[in-house]
Amino acid sequence: MRDSYDVIIIGAGHNGLTLGAYLARSGLEVLVLERRHEEGGGLTTEELTRPGFLHNVHANYHTFVDLAPPVKDLEIREHGVKYVRPEVQMASIYPDKTALVVYSDIEKTCDSISRFSTKDAATFKKLFNEAHGYVDLLLGTLMFEPPMSVKELTKALSVFGVGNRSEFLSVKLRRETINQFLDEHFENPKVKAHLAFHGAVCGYANDIVGLAIGFPLLVGKINNWHLSIGGSHRLAHALWRDLANHGGVLVTDAEVASVVVDGNRASGVRLADGTEITARKLVASTVSVEQTFLEFLDRDKVSSDLVSNELFEKIKTEIKHQSWSLFSVHLALSKLPHYLAGEFEPDVDKAWVVNLGYSSPEELNDDWKLIRNNQLADPKPNVAINSLYDPTDAPEGSYTGLLRQFAPYSIGSLGPGAWMDEARHYGEKCIDSWRKFAPDMDAEAIIDWTTYSPHDIATKLPNMVKGDWMMGEISLANMLDQRPLPELGNYRTPIEGLYMAGSTQHPHGFITFAPAYNALSVIAQDIGVDQWWKKV
Amino acid sequence: MGEWTYDAIVIGAGHNGLTLAAYLGRAGLKTLVLERRHEEGGGVNTEEPVLPGFRHNMHAQYMEFFDGMPIIQDFNLYELGLRTYMPEAQAGITFSDGRPPIIIHRPDLLDRTHQNISRYSKSDADMYVELKKKAMALEPLLMANLYTPPPVGGMPDQGPLLEALFGDLGITSDFLLKSPKVIIDELFETSELRALMYRACVEWGFPVDTAASGGAFLTFIMWTMGNWKLARGGTHTLAKSMTQACYQQGVDLIESSPVVKIMVDDNRVTGVKCANGDIYRANKLVASNADLKQTLLELVGENNLSPTWVRRAKAFRYGPSHVLGTLALCLHDPPDYKSARYDEEINKCFYTMVGFDGEEDTIMYIRDAYNGRLPKPAAGTWVNTIWDKTQAPPGKHSATGWYFMPSKSALTPSEWEEVRRTYNSAFIKVWRDSAPNMTDSNIIAERIYTPDQMERKNLMREGDFSNGEFSPDQMGSNRPFPEASRYKTEIEGLYLCGPSAYPGGGVHSACGNNAFKVIAEDFDLESPVVASRGY
Amino acid sequence: MADIYTPSWYEEVKAAINKKVSQLKDIPEGKWNLAIEIVGDGMSPYVEDNGERHFLVAIDNGSCLWYKEIASESDGSEIGKLDYRFRGSASVFDSIAAGVLDPIDAALDGSIKVRGDMRFLLRQADQVQALLEAYAKEVTTDWPKGKPPYGSSAGSNHVGEAVFYA
Repeated sequence: MRDSYDVIIIGAGHNGLTLGAYLARSGLEVLVLERRHEEGGGLTTEELTRPGFLHNVHANYHTFVDLAPPVKDLEIREHGVKYVRPEVQMASIYPDKTALVVYSDIEKTCDSISRFSTKDAATFKKLFNEAHGYVDLLLGTLMFEPPMSVKELTKALSVFGVGNRSEFLSVKLRRETINQFLDEHFENPKVKAHLAFHGAVCGYANDIVGLAIGFPLLVGKINNWHLSIGGSHRLAHALWRDLANHGGVLVTDAEVASVVVDGNRASGVRLADGTEITARKLVASTVSVEQTFLEFLDRDKVSSDLVSNELFEKIKTEIKHQSWSLFSVHLALSKLPHYLAGEFEPDVDKAWVVNLGYSSPEELNDDWKLIRNNQLADPKPNVAINSLYDPTDAPEGSYTGLLRQFAPYSIGSLGPGAWMDEARHYGEKCIDSWRKFAPDMDAEAIIDWTTYSPHDIATKLPNMVKGDWMMGEISLANMLDQRPLPELGNYRTPIEGLYMAGSTQHPHGFITFAPAYNALSVIAQDIGVDQWWKKV
Repeated sequence: MGEWTYDAIVIGAGHNGLTLAAYLGRAGLKTLVLERRHEEGGGVNTEEPVLPGFRHNMHAQYMEFFDGMPIIQDFNLYELGLRTYMPEAQAGITFSDGRPPIIIHRPDLLDRTHQNISRYSKSDADMYVELKKKAMALEPLLMANLYTPPPVGGMPDQGPLLEALFGDLGITSDFLLKSPKVIIDELFETSELRALMYRACVEWGFPVDTAASGGAFLTFIMWTMGNWKLARGGTHTLAKSMTQACYQQGVDLIESSPVVKIMVDDNRVTGVKCANGDIYRANKLVASNADLKQTLLELVGENNLSPTWVRRAKAFRYGPSHVLGTLALCLHDPPDYKSARYDEEINKCFYTMVGFDGEEDTIMYIRDAYNGRLPKPAAGTWVNTIWDKTQAPPGKHSATGWYFMPSKSALTPSEWEEVRRTYNSAFIKVWRDSAPNMTDSNIIAERIYTPDQMERKNLMREGDFSNGEFSPDQMGSNRPFPEASRYKTEIEGLYLCGPSAYPGGGVHSACGNNAFKVIAEDFDLESPVVASRGY
Repeated sequence: MADIYTPSWYEEVKAAINKKVSQLKDIPEGKWNLAIEIVGDGMSPYVEDNGERHFLVAIDNGSCLWYKEIASESDGSEIGKLDYRFRGSASVFDSIAAGVLDPIDAALDGSIKVRGDMRFLLRQADQVQALLEAYAKEVTTDWPKGKPPYGSSAGSNHVGEAVFYA
């Protein structure tokens, strides 16, 4: 490391690397600092069970491929990332061994839905077509630009008469839950359960008021789920490569202890080992708001005219996090699961992701209540078998599997540490519930398995505070320019030269590239970077 | 499926492959590295195999060549993230009855080592210090030898050098014919020190009982012993900085792309084919960092080789002298040894041997492993978090260890499963005998990596860390066999750049470095030799 | 060639827009450059099948300064920088000009892909609405080769699966 750079970025998750690569391509000297020994943040792929079995520890589903500008601007594919879009995207298997399947082909999806309700199949088709039409328009508006306010957005939607023009999108959705949306448009509880579950996997709980506003968009890209061949970490390598190709430097094992503030501006960082590095133009943090403000800033040294005590207090107490986390079981398998529901729908055995057991949104509601009360639900995991579409992720003749279950960060009053004792047991329960649907997943089929609990998430990636893999709650009050707080909603901070460019910002977590891309717009404007990337 | 063309293709992103690729890129060749795994670095890897936040080096643990490695200087790897520590107490041995430990220090702290060994034997302390000083004086020569392709026609006779340097200690050229054990036994009287020395030899894969290997003990082992550094954050940091150097040179590195065929046309290499059908053509050369058998017999194919090369490749041997299992522990507290009552420094020793109560234990351990028997549990251990807090969550510790184990083929798959179930807990009991705080409650979680898994993970055949036994007939100008010792193969444009070539396994980057020197000559590229360092 | 996208037609569009703008309050200040890309779809007789026609339009303080047709896709460098790009099939654009397709509907259903900072378009929704009305309703168009709707599929998305950022 040298002792000064134009730009210092804290955190080498996909947002940090993306921002770094753009700025390096803009001719700036960029240093990206990562606390862990690996770059990628949520883009981690590890051999958690046995050598040769590649497990995506966090991000598994890439749903913004070809929607996110950086994929093209940073030549991600040229850097070796290969995506596959599974033909059988996702299935729900119900306790009565029936199953609903979503394909990349929407006609086939509708055929599958029509086995439950022809009316719902027709509605789904209309919803998909409508939403697919404005996915591009709204993603460009809402995701890949710095945020506007809900008020402005509502006004625009009403001036353009969107409510009258579209059957599904309406400003009134901001007062509705996804459940209400589903009840209004769909009749079959299983169809509704699948759609509600799909929303939940995307971070949108079906029982939270206001989230219906985003639901049509989720449906509009319901068949755009991609898998990164060789593991999600490939994308991290590609972004790093782009950064380094253009002269940027990534340094791992470089834990930031503080952001150095000189007068009213951020002038650099100090590492945990005492090293000081100067940032000639800016420091951008892609880690949590709590870390950035409460750990990296010295309250006594930062003038209260700059960052008010009130703001510090708000950050301490008012940052909203998802009220649920994820519990994972990573599996090394000697054979592929064969579901009993295959008799009803043979394609379930080819589904990349299978949701098990929820036959109505109400059952999901009940689990949310338990989980928000720090209780463990009777597992109804979703199962992803990446090897179905990526034969490189396991040794020949073997397969890599993942069970994911919604779970609380803390267990009862015991706190998150209780996962250390509970994980194995809960993992067994998850496997048992899987076996009810796929009895051939016996002891012989499972070569090895390991768990990854909400506590593990927070330990591995402390920026995912309380196991919050969205890095901030998905709720109407925490969206757009209100995320993570109104004072911090536009990638800038009260400290000149200090930016927030991670998933704490609009739009949210997941592999969207959007926080970095939008922070880039703001930074480019502030420091006068010539915009070489094509936005139009 | 697609087709691309490069000037140079390197198979395998182990540290030697990365080294070669960085130089090729700098020389202006359009270079591609294809890696079978999802991660670069090969044996230079650090993972969180047990619990999040607890890092463990799965293969390479310590580095003794950082000060001489050309790639570190030539590509300024310290600017690209590489940072190191060099603990004062380097290697130690501790005992279950709480006898005084023996501790070897950094070369600049030999007086402390002398003091330490003197507790057992003043003459052994004198001998160690003398030998170490003389070996250190050889450093420029040894470093230059390491980073120069081996001479054609065999290595020069070491006899005169040996006599000139060590003659006053009564070491004459006949020592070259001895085994390391015989030399150690002749030079040192203390059983405890011998126990440490035997283990230090096999650390490097030198068979302790093999005649005519003793020269390597006096020069190479004595030179490197106690010169160890740890890479901050884990050894993988080295691979990271090398990868970044490659990226900066515009080298393309593609992971998860196993090569299944080296394409040969009319005895000239034309490119490679990957498992997914992708084809990469090579205008100038292909260099393989994969092991010898894979490169020649599997990727090139017998039909493209002469009968002699086929025979030679088939005869190349892996193990049993350097087959290791890796232990990974997550701890609340580092071990507190009984022997620390004599010398507290044993608790802050970089590398600590545990479970060897005397020379018989060590030699039996080594001989068991060589002969296909599972040794009584004992290990060399590291607790890197004592120096590098980044390798575990706050206040916690990561411990890693190496077991010597039989070759992968010596045990059946179900026997290896049994080893995975039981060996760690058996060793932890042994550890507790020496360090009573290694209780179940101090151990948060544990895991073992066995030779069969090493083979699967990095294609280190038989779990052999050296990627081919270090015996005199497979070393120096004989590695992997005399006809192939200059990194070239009989296929025009196909080079070896991995540890099956001179000098062999280990983290020194010399295989990749020297392969580049040969390639630079063949293709008239600028020489990487830096006059001031002499190689 | 008998055409509707002629200089005189655009002069008329320009006049209609400028007339509308003169009646507006809160006219957005500043200059904007637009590219319009019309893709032949085999139905519109005014653009060759699979051919493309490209236009650049300059807006200054809400008023249309000029438009011009250019030979190929533009990055806007001819006129400084490009702020928006509207791309759609010929029958979609024809249908809008004929007043049989609402341009907002066309944007919402993806028949016209819009690129550029949509926040501005949303914040200036009233003005944008007015300009679109002028374009779609207040220009008299001659249709020398026939007039939309051309057939059952006119107005649907003919630019295929093309996504926002391909």
